Amino acid sequence: MEQVMENKKPKFDKYKAKKLVITLLPLLALILLFVFYIIILNVNDYNIMMNLRSLLNQSLILVLVATGAIFIFTLGQFDISLGANALFSAVIGTLVYKATGSIALLFIICILVAVGCSLLNALIASVFHLPMFVTTIAMLSVLTALATFLIQSQGSASGTSYSINLPSELVDKLAPLDTPIFKIILLGIFILAMVFIFNFTKVGRKQKFLGGNEKCAKLTGISISLFGIIAFALAGLGVGLGSSMTVVYAHTVSTTTASSIGMSVFIAIVFGGMPINGGARSRIYSALIGGFSYNIMTNILFILFQSMEGARDGLVQVISGVFFLAIVFVASINYRSKNLPR
Amino acid sequence: MYMQKSEIMAISKFIKGVTAIALAGASMALVACGGGNSTVKVGVLVADASGDEAIGFKNYLQQYVAKEYNYEFVYSPQLDSAEQARAQAETFIGQNCKAIIDMADKNRGDLAQLCNTNKVYFAIGSGMMSDEDYNASKNLEYFVGQIGPDMVTEYNTGLAMGQYYKETKKVSKVGVYGAFIPNPMHLYRMAGLLTGLGDTYKGQSGQNIVYTVFGDGAQFDASNIAGDVTIDYCSGFDGEGAIFGRVGEIIAGNPDAFLSVGMTTTFFADMLDKANLEYSDIDSFTTANGAHMKTGSLKYLAGKYSSSLGPIFAAIKSAIDGKAIRLANGDAFSLSQGYWTAKSSAEFEKFQSADSVTNPIFNKTVLDTLIGASYDSFKAAVELDRTPQ
Repeated sequence: MEQVMENKKPKFDKYKAKKLVITLLPLLALILLFVFYIIILNVNDYNIMMNLRSLLNQSLILVLVATGAIFIFTLGQFDISLGANALFSAVIGTLVYKATGSIALLFIICILVAVGCSLLNALIASVFHLPMFVTTIAMLSVLTALATFLIQSQGSASGTSYSINLPSELVDKLAPLDTPIFKIILLGIFILAMVFIFNFTKVGRKQKFLGGNEKCAKLTGISISLFGIIAFALAGLGVGLGSSMTVVYAHTVSTTTASSIGMSVFIAIVFGGMPINGGARSRIYSALIGGFSYNIMTNILFILFQSMEGARDGLVQVISGVFFLAIVFVASINYRSKNLPR
Repeated sequence: MYMQKSEIMAISKFIKGVTAIALAGASMALVACGGGNSTVKVGVLVADASGDEAIGFKNYLQQYVAKEYNYEFVYSPQLDSAEQARAQAETFIGQNCKAIIDMADKNRGDLAQLCNTNKVYFAIGSGMMSDEDYNASKNLEYFVGQIGPDMVTEYNTGLAMGQYYKETKKVSKVGVYGAFIPNPMHLYRMAGLLTGLGDTYKGQSGQNIVYTVFGDGAQFDASNIAGDVTIDYCSGFDGEGAIFGRVGEIIAGNPDAFLSVGMTTTFFADMLDKANLEYSDIDSFTTANGAHMKTGSLKYLAGKYSSSLGPIFAAIKSAIDGKAIRLANGDAFSLSQGYWTAKSSAEFEKFQSADSVTNPIFNKTVLDTLIGASYDSFKAAVELDRTPQ
């Protein structure tokens, strides 16, 4: 009888529990960091709303670009030209907006240019049978050079640099879009759409399969080229939205616009728990969690080390690097499992 | 599959560990950051805080002004783009900074508007806004003003260098480093330098050189330079060796001197010192440049001095104290400040000792006369030639 009772006890699945803990760790870390951040702001009597607004502005463009880029990372690929693509599409979008004054065209052009450049990456790789990574390096150089040429020829000298600045009447027109409400709504809609595609359509599932085992996926009839193109198109969509919002926020483009995006995207998705090799354990929300976690952590460290200004920037970089390695290590515990991903 | 007790304990320990670290961090934050005081906080936006000039400014603000006036100067991390500068300005506003000094030069007109909206004073401590931005910002209540070498000053600084090497040093062949041309500041200096050397660009001299280059889509082509003094030109910095190779070629060509409109002391000083080739630069009066002048072959330096930031601080403090310094029509001021030029190590040392962190040119006695001063007396004080005699 006792034995029967014991058998009826709910079974505690070791694998599921471990997976749940590791899956929830990035979210737990984000919550802890956020609480910690609010405490620090409160203790210092800082303006919490202004700091949160700044956090949103720091994270928005990164999260938009990184969320789209998840589709590329899921395939086990890496696009180093994301920042250059954001810069180039922002330059074209700004020129069109300056010429037409149409906000709709600003967004449409930024998205079309970004998607076009992204697809060009996939096309070149497909036609010439080159690794995606190689084509994105070439694209990085080409897009940066084109953007620099356009900025220098179409922009104006401002102090020590060249930039394309929006006139004040066009800046004023963008004001309704440069609000937290609009940014949160835009981010929410985009992420929900990406979550749907990634988790509830064949596209997401097949991309995870491709990222996990390309040969096996190919044998089952999944087209590497097709899903590569879809991944780059969706990444381009994120880049296009990110570059549009860069113009809305900064009101200018220069050769340094979006300069840190490429590396920040990689750091953000790893902070958010994305496996560095892509595959079945890829998570679409990694960009959202990681983007905010990374910026909150950086902001916390800058406040904590404010009095150690000489060493502050170096310390923040070192601690961020250590955190990055720690996260990759903890996440890799999951990959070292002998079980196939479920 | 069941989870063993030891594994449950391990996960539990891990979560406890994370929580303990977070609590320890929170305690550290409470100790480190806790307690307010009456110190006035000012944010400083910088594109690069590691250069000698930037460190000189920082030491003056943090080690002298901060102590004398109970101010705190919080520096930004390195800002690469306009969006980063804006986010950092928002962070400073959120950290209760009463004013922001911009030395990063990333869309200054926009930052002036942002600060004005949030009732935080905004001032430019180094360089100048474009005319368009200044005109759009000058009537903003919270825009304090700008002090820095204007483009005419930049042109004249290059001109003086060129004239010195042509007339005093009698050079006939020089290496020239154009730094980050088409950066307008460097381009104006180059126009002055070429004119001072008696050379022309596309047949143009003076500031017409600048307009010619702008007219060509900001493309500067050294093959368009002509004149008595032969020029072996290079510019830019890729950080990967190519530019060092190019400078090496110029050195191998045995020019009479290597003339620079900026950044040579940062990138090529050691190469030129080793080659024992005389060189000039437009930079600042820092310890490292003093060493190059004393033991190396740096023989001409036009530079800013660290406490030249004093007047903009005085203007900020005046505004915070309710005694803003404005033009008669209520606009924010725009004033130009010149460079000092040292042509020998002895002269350099004289300048350096005249403006130290403990005894700056703009010391408390001088600053006190500027705080709350009328615009006319403030302008006279800023534009006064303070070159140590």
